[in-house]
Amino acid sequence: MKPSTLIAKKGLYQTVIWVFLITVCVYCLFPFVWMLSTSLKTEAEAFRIPPTWIPLQATIDSYIGIWVRKNFGIYFFNSTVISLATAVLSTFFGALAGYGFSRFLFKGRRFLIGFFLATQMLPGVLLVGPYFKILSRVGLYDTRSGLIIAFLTICLPFSTWMMKGFIDKVPDELDQSAMVDGCSRMGIFFKIILPIVAPGMVATILFAFLLAWGDLLWALCLTSSEPMITVTLGIARTVGEFRIIWPMLMAGSLVGGMPAIILYVFLQRLLVQGLTAGAVKG
Amino acid sequence: MRIKDRHMWIFFVLPGVLLLILVLGFPVITSVLYSVKPEQAGDASYTFSHYSNLLKDPFFKTTFWNTGIFVFLSVGTHMILGLAVAMVLNSALPAKPLFRLIALLPWVIPDVVAGIIWKWMLDPIYGALNDVLLKVGLINAPIEWLSNPKLALLSVILVNLWRGFPFVMLILLAGLQAIPKDLYEAAAIDGASKLKTFFHITIPGLRKMIVVALALDIVWEVRRFGLIQAMTQGGPGVLTEVLSTYTYKQYFQFFRFEYASAISVVLTVTLLLVSLPYIWMISQEE
Repeated sequence: MKPSTLIAKKGLYQTVIWVFLITVCVYCLFPFVWMLSTSLKTEAEAFRIPPTWIPLQATIDSYIGIWVRKNFGIYFFNSTVISLATAVLSTFFGALAGYGFSRFLFKGRRFLIGFFLATQMLPGVLLVGPYFKILSRVGLYDTRSGLIIAFLTICLPFSTWMMKGFIDKVPDELDQSAMVDGCSRMGIFFKIILPIVAPGMVATILFAFLLAWGDLLWALCLTSSEPMITVTLGIARTVGEFRIIWPMLMAGSLVGGMPAIILYVFLQRLLVQGLTAGAVKG
Repeated sequence: MRIKDRHMWIFFVLPGVLLLILVLGFPVITSVLYSVKPEQAGDASYTFSHYSNLLKDPFFKTTFWNTGIFVFLSVGTHMILGLAVAMVLNSALPAKPLFRLIALLPWVIPDVVAGIIWKWMLDPIYGALNDVLLKVGLINAPIEWLSNPKLALLSVILVNLWRGFPFVMLILLAGLQAIPKDLYEAAAIDGASKLKTFFHITIPGLRKMIVVALALDIVWEVRRFGLIQAMTQGGPGVLTEVLSTYTYKQYFQFFRFEYASAISVVLTVTLLLVSLPYIWMISQEE
């Protein structure tokens, strides 16, 4: 092959890659752009044929409307409290269990690890029905605490697995030498290990937070009254209404997705590390 | 009394295990018991009629099929697109973190939000997709993406491709980055073609990550709920109904707790069987 054709071939290859990459980016981003554009339109403009791509009369009425005419403030508060509590609780217990699995060899260890993994596989619909019955009986149906307990079922296995991945990376010699110095196991865990894996804990909290924040099934089945429902359920209810006001729904969706997007943008590296440390080892 | 250090694991592992048994064990047992409970009080103490009714329920059959098609095509397309994007992002490119960020956006937003954006995108009259296709001239009449019986399930799968491929991409990208660069250099010196390098270095190097991505993605797609609930609620008819939405309906719209429990038990057993190789592989490594 002549050098010139080799260069041409390489150029073609590069072009193909860039075209592919840009297509993927448009595919990923376009729905977000459309959501933003619709949220800035008036209701009349949203129903224009053919649709306008850039709002003729941009307005932020929808963004005001979701807080004033809809109870978005309450939904937001509920989602934040519920997701945060779930994330902190499951990460704390997950870190404890993760340390246990990482540092001790004991009988039944493999079985318990298998048990934690298997619980990740349980489908939500197996659990929501019984949860509805049990929470109703103990008076926790339609409460934030009830939803937090329920979310632990999804988050705890993941958190344990992720935290174990992070703790595995801390050399055991550290624990051994601390013990020689007379430090207790609990002391080692709280004073040495937790500070070292702090970034990992942030990643785990973030991941559990996103899991809880994004859920619809549990919120739909375990809460019902306006003061208790989450952002996702609030949005889903709007779709079920007889007349959908699209600009407002798009504004709500954008605001509802924002915490996830912002957290992700700032903590991207940590989250990627956590996912690959937990789901994927080595 | 001092507890020996090798027994200390109990204090670390037990709280998590007990909590998990409390929040999971109880409901799982309740579900299993409900699935064999007679609907009328006073009948026999247990019955398998709900399970045999499943086989007679034509909607269950359709739903089971739909779930199979949905999961198979979703996971398949996720793997293909995920691997392609991961390989591009693993090569020498400027602004890589930016591209990775963009490619992950569909995956970080809530399921419902993803479903709603696309419900609006796919709106036959006011939606963006038909508008683009009409302007480019690819179609000459608006397509009824979500209400055409032949298209509905495929449209939902297409949206799910957007939603789910970033996760597979992320896992495979981590796998690609772990393959030693000198393997590729050695292959290049030996004059191996790109295709050969792909099948002899990339794929074997990724084997474990592929298993992980496959297992987790299958489980997540089987459980997928919010996306479908927001877009179609299983309609038109039962054409996009999957097992998760169907079970939800049986529970909370028809209040057939016993029947719904039977469906969910079948679903769970299927899921555990599918993920058994993965669980086995991971726990053996420990």
